[in-house]
Amino acid sequence: MSSVRERMLRFIEGEGHRVDASPVDPGTGVSELLFRTRGQVFSVTTNENDATLISISTAYEIPEWARERSQNAETLERVRAQHGDVAFTLAHDGSLFVATLEQQATSIQELMSAFWHLVARVREAGSYAVEDMVDRTESKVAAEKFINSFMMPDR
Amino acid sequence: MTDPLESVEAALEDEGLFFSRDDDEDAFRIAFKSEGDRYFIVSYRDDPTFIMIGSGWALPQGIDAQDAIDVANRLNVRKKFVKTALWLEESDVLFTVELCVSTAEEVRPHFGRLLNVLRDSAVEFFEQLRSES
Repeated sequence: MSSVRERMLRFIEGEGHRVDASPVDPGTGVSELLFRTRGQVFSVTTNENDATLISISTAYEIPEWARERSQNAETLERVRAQHGDVAFTLAHDGSLFVATLEQQATSIQELMSAFWHLVARVREAGSYAVEDMVDRTESKVAAEKFINSFMMPDR
Repeated sequence: MTDPLESVEAALEDEGLFFSRDDDEDAFRIAFKSEGDRYFIVSYRDDPTFIMIGSGWALPQGIDAQDAIDVANRLNVRKKFVKTALWLEESDVLFTVELCVSTAEEVRPHFGRLLNVLRDSAVEFFEQLRSES
């Protein structure tokens, strides 16, 4: 019987994607599979102790000018509330965030048949969060410009 | 003769995708999958500046051909790059991007975008077809 890692690896490769796979951690049974789709690298974590549980993650870089940590943390909380099952973690001093979806199914086949749908959910939530961060930052900049010019004394 | 699809292979490598070659005396051909869906790329030996990237899908049984033609026409008006064509005798729909290039290297930086628009066109075609019927 092949390992959970092997089965998921063969599935993703069979779907057309090259996969970079880490060996199984003997202590936890966890391994990580990396693949690209639509220009974005995704990480899939499998667990030999539970074939019906996977975690799918991808990282998004936050534009340098939009790295306002407290505001971005609020944005991620708000987007999380809207996209329920996708969790976000700010990393690397707020220069990027990771979007993660954990999915428990009744079988590995069920995970495979829903796989691209799950990837799409992570991607949609992540893209939405980036747009929200950029949009709020731009709105804030525009508002500040307006306030500053409004507050300037008449010439 | 140099291989006009060599740099398209590099674009597929950039995207992290497997592919296979199936050249013959008339054409250079690449087949690949992305997210489980099948695509093809072709360039003809007697017309190496022409490159076509495409995907073919079976039409659902029992659809109204005129509905499918209407949806395809709307997509052809609205979508950049992609030509949607119905092959009614085979009950298929084809989505193709047809390009004229000096060298296939020109395709490489835009390949991800072209693949996305092909994918989106197929999704929109079937969604609109469902809402028509």
